[in-house]
Amino acid sequence: MASEATAPPNSPKLPSSPPPVSEATPLLEMRGIAKAFPGVQALSDVSFTLHAGEIHALVGENGAGKSTLMNILTGAVPKDAGTILLRGQPVEITDPRRAIELGIAIIHQELTLIPHLTVAQNIYLGREPHGRLPGTVDWATLNRQAEDLLARLGLDLRPTTPVAELSIAQRQMVEVAKALSLNADIIAMDEPTSALSEREVETLFGFIRQLRRQGVGLIYISHRIAEVFALADRVTVLRDGRHVGTASVQDVDEAQIINWMVGRTLSELYPKTSRPQAEVVLKVEGLRRDNSLHDISFELHRGEILGLAGLVGAGRTHVVRALFGVDPVDGGTIWLEGRPVRITSPQEAIRLGIGLVPEDRKAQGLFLGMAVRQNITMTRLHDLSRLGVIDRRRQDGLARQYVEELRIRTPGLGQRVRALSGGNQQKVVIARWLTLNPKVLLLDEPTRGIDVGAKVEIYALMSELAARGVGILMISSELPEILGVCDRILVMRGGRLVGEFDRAEATQDAIMTLATGGTRS
Amino acid sequence: MTTDRGARFWRRPGAGAEGRRRFIPVFILVGLGAFIALLNPTFLTPSNLITVVLQASILSIVAIGQTYVILTAGIDLSVGSLVALGGALSAGLAVKAGLGTYPAILLTLLVGVGLGAVSGLLVVKGHIPPFVATLAMMAIARGLTLVYTQGRPIAGLGADFTFLGTGDILGIPMPVWIMAVVAVLAALLLTQTRFGLYVRAIGGGGEETVRLAGVRPGVIKLLVYMLSGFMATLGGVLLAARLWSAQPNAGIGLELDAIAAAVLGGASLFGGIGGVGGTLIGALLIGVLSNGMNLLEIPSYYQQVVKGMVFVLAVLLDFATRRRPTP
Amino acid sequence: MKRQRSFLPVILLIAGLILAGCAPAAPPAAPTQPPAEATPTVAPAPAGEITLGLALSTLNNPFFVTLKEGAEKEAAAQGVKLIVVDAQDDPAKQAASIEDLISKKVSALLINPTDADAIVPSIQKANAAGIPVFTIDRGASGGEIVSHIASDNVAGGRMAAEFLCQAIGGKGNVVELQGIAGTSAARDRGQGFNEWMKANCPGATIVASQTADFNRAKGLQVFENILQAQPEIAGVFAHNDEMILGAIQAAEAAGRTGIVFVGFDAIDDAVKAVEEGKLAATVAQQPAEMGRLGVAMAVKHLKGEKVEPFIGVPLSLVTK
Repeated sequence: MASEATAPPNSPKLPSSPPPVSEATPLLEMRGIAKAFPGVQALSDVSFTLHAGEIHALVGENGAGKSTLMNILTGAVPKDAGTILLRGQPVEITDPRRAIELGIAIIHQELTLIPHLTVAQNIYLGREPHGRLPGTVDWATLNRQAEDLLARLGLDLRPTTPVAELSIAQRQMVEVAKALSLNADIIAMDEPTSALSEREVETLFGFIRQLRRQGVGLIYISHRIAEVFALADRVTVLRDGRHVGTASVQDVDEAQIINWMVGRTLSELYPKTSRPQAEVVLKVEGLRRDNSLHDISFELHRGEILGLAGLVGAGRTHVVRALFGVDPVDGGTIWLEGRPVRITSPQEAIRLGIGLVPEDRKAQGLFLGMAVRQNITMTRLHDLSRLGVIDRRRQDGLARQYVEELRIRTPGLGQRVRALSGGNQQKVVIARWLTLNPKVLLLDEPTRGIDVGAKVEIYALMSELAARGVGILMISSELPEILGVCDRILVMRGGRLVGEFDRAEATQDAIMTLATGGTRS
Repeated sequence: MTTDRGARFWRRPGAGAEGRRRFIPVFILVGLGAFIALLNPTFLTPSNLITVVLQASILSIVAIGQTYVILTAGIDLSVGSLVALGGALSAGLAVKAGLGTYPAILLTLLVGVGLGAVSGLLVVKGHIPPFVATLAMMAIARGLTLVYTQGRPIAGLGADFTFLGTGDILGIPMPVWIMAVVAVLAALLLTQTRFGLYVRAIGGGGEETVRLAGVRPGVIKLLVYMLSGFMATLGGVLLAARLWSAQPNAGIGLELDAIAAAVLGGASLFGGIGGVGGTLIGALLIGVLSNGMNLLEIPSYYQQVVKGMVFVLAVLLDFATRRRPTP
Repeated sequence: MKRQRSFLPVILLIAGLILAGCAPAAPPAAPTQPPAEATPTVAPAPAGEITLGLALSTLNNPFFVTLKEGAEKEAAAQGVKLIVVDAQDDPAKQAASIEDLISKKVSALLINPTDADAIVPSIQKANAAGIPVFTIDRGASGGEIVSHIASDNVAGGRMAAEFLCQAIGGKGNVVELQGIAGTSAARDRGQGFNEWMKANCPGATIVASQTADFNRAKGLQVFENILQAQPEIAGVFAHNDEMILGAIQAAEAAGRTGIVFVGFDAIDDAVKAVEEGKLAATVAQQPAEMGRLGVAMAVKHLKGEKVEPFIGVPLSLVTK
């Protein structure tokens, strides 16, 4: 009806061997790209090249300019300066539709598949083969086309399966299949593994390597350096909107890339001032919950920062959810300051002096539409009101105290939290817990999606809290962070605690080996 | 054509848990029917079953239009008022303006499509939430009906008009025939055409994806509201034919029954999920429930309580089965 | 999945319990007659078999609730079964519930139509099924009706006119507040009132006849305007109590006294107003009697006796 697509059944060109593009002419070349947003120079003089059959990793901290560069490539954002060459020919990419026509596709973290439609329907949306009657769709042909495409890509998926029934990794592959059906030969993937389990990551990597063999040029955006080494041919690092370096992965090591990314040394990154005390503030013994947690036992000392390492899905979040009374447990005992306690609800946990900064702060930790003032004082309103009416002066006093103490950068207490940066949002969440003077603070990925400068402030804040005697249990997927911040590190795998390291003896390799349950180079 | 198509007509391919879930409304319907039949065998007599379907037919037609809107994550609150307007306008044009039955009905249906287009434009171009836009249309259409009828019923419909409501062919009442034809066409439109595919794609957050696929979602949405307007005025025409008169206060609260029918039939108010078959089952469920309660002589005050409770239970059941194990 | 399997029976069970709990417990096989109601003279032979269906326009109005109660009382007295359905003022719902009653093969239908035209197809269906139909309170504009049982509104209008004429001493300006145009109640009450006034009360002049749609707020508003236009008003008759109560409020607000108010229906508020002396009189319909007569006439007809095509339910005047 509304579609102007009338093309005959699509036959995506999928060369079985690398195309005859010479090494000299890159598939894609971006030269001297610059882009300014109001108040920010997002990119200045950035260059990037991609060859056919190459996986080129693009790394950098949040705010480094990766997304802006990709948005320029896919026509979502116009560039201020610079040129883009496709196979040596200059092109103007004016809008996303144009990018698709040119064979450039981006697979975003937020997938654009429609969950209740089938794989085939998603792949060929807007380009369905016509049936006999006007306006109708020839489903049989559609499914056959999709089946052929999936087979050529080596994907073991049925075209008639609703996307809702696929795993995240499978959905990403369907997105890629869709891009290829549109004749894309440049595919950018934005943090594709952030929501994947280890096994899914392997499947996805296998698929990406196969695409490389078929001559597709892949841009792989990630901040996980291990993935870059596992997958990419070359790596380009951006920092603060500038091109810092491009190198073949054989020629650089992890330290070099980190150095490029953050532009400072590790000791600057992890200010460590606190020392754990002897007294145990939280003790957990034999905690279990059907198949997510098995026999979890550990102690947390006053003033200690205890790290919980492991892969996504290892059960780390289940531990803190159980300790905070969100999920019921099937067994186990928890002692708080030597007394056994039963934590059956978050209210109970709060009453006992346990705070949780959740993984997804936007959905679970913040009232995005509300002001900084309300967000900080939310759990203390009872003490701040008389006869149910909030004493605004006392509320502001409390909020201001924490805004200053935590150096939250906000135009005012009335600022809606939505408009704050990730780091400042996280500080607001932490500030709310501090108003309750917690004995134990559970931090689930506290620095996810926060830029480096703010990370350092969060680390400093954690150190300061520990010095005041708060026991902190921190989950993090970033090993350097765990190693830099924590006094002790617990490693989880498959819902069990599989190891413990002291700060001094821990190494990334040792932790990773335990976390993956195997030997890893 | 493969055999695949036959199956697809009733359920989405690759059924799995989703597919099984779609039969739950059928289970409830059969269970409720069996229960009523057990207490009062009259329920299963052919004449009573025809009566039940007849009673559900107008609601079914309106609810099918509503289902299309709900599939796009919208809602159409104006259908009850459009039922009244459809009846009043067709009766008025046929009786007072002397236009003849069929031209009058045709013109009325066009007006229904036009008013649906107004709602659609408010949603698509005006960026007004569907709830608000159609709430306004609900008041406007009701007001237009009262203006046109001066608040009085219009009677004196011709025999060819009333035949559509109270006549029968082969012992099956006309509204049931019309409902059957409408349902088959609507189901084919939804499952076999691009339009239907895009309707299902837009709901549940696919709007941007659809746009990037070169389809204009605004056009699809506009058409959906026009379809709903058409269905509602058609329902109004049939209601007038069934009552031999157009009632200015007809269809009050019908929009809620239509939404309920769609939801009972498994449609998700978030869009994307739902279908014609399910909605028919939902409308039948509502019809069976009120027929059954009359047969079982449940006092009228209690009937509303029971109706509300059955609604909640059915939707709870739906949610309970929709829930997936947390990862 | 575990949940899915265990949930369905539970819900069906609950739904079943609800339905079962609401269904009347009395099994139809054993019509336990109250012992006090020993009726040896009238042959009870067919009475036990009789099931009457009463389709009311609404049960949100005390008038019809009283009507229903009168019918139920009579049904119990006669030893017949009575099924009551409520249309909530929706003609479509009424059509559906009458179809259900026809499915149930009731012996006779007592219908209080929501709309005189919209009810016709339902009546014809009943006719086709051989079920005798009686209309109560409101009539139908087609179909075969055994008998129409309603207040004699023309007589009620006359009754009101006679009282009003006397109360104002046979002379002065009189106002009539009419009901919704086109309704039989408004037509008949107005007819009786106007005919009697014209014939028997030559000294009085009807200076204003306006509709206030049977509605209290409208009555207030319309009478406010009339008060502005008419400096001298001796009496007011309204086609129902709601309007007259509105008119009384308007008069009180305007500080006008000495007006004789006569209403119709004898609703609770009006009876109270009569006791307080604000309202001179109201014509009382007798809904319970209406319901009683409906059942009585239906039973009479089913026993093969003759029933008049119109049964006027007597009215009474409520005064202080």
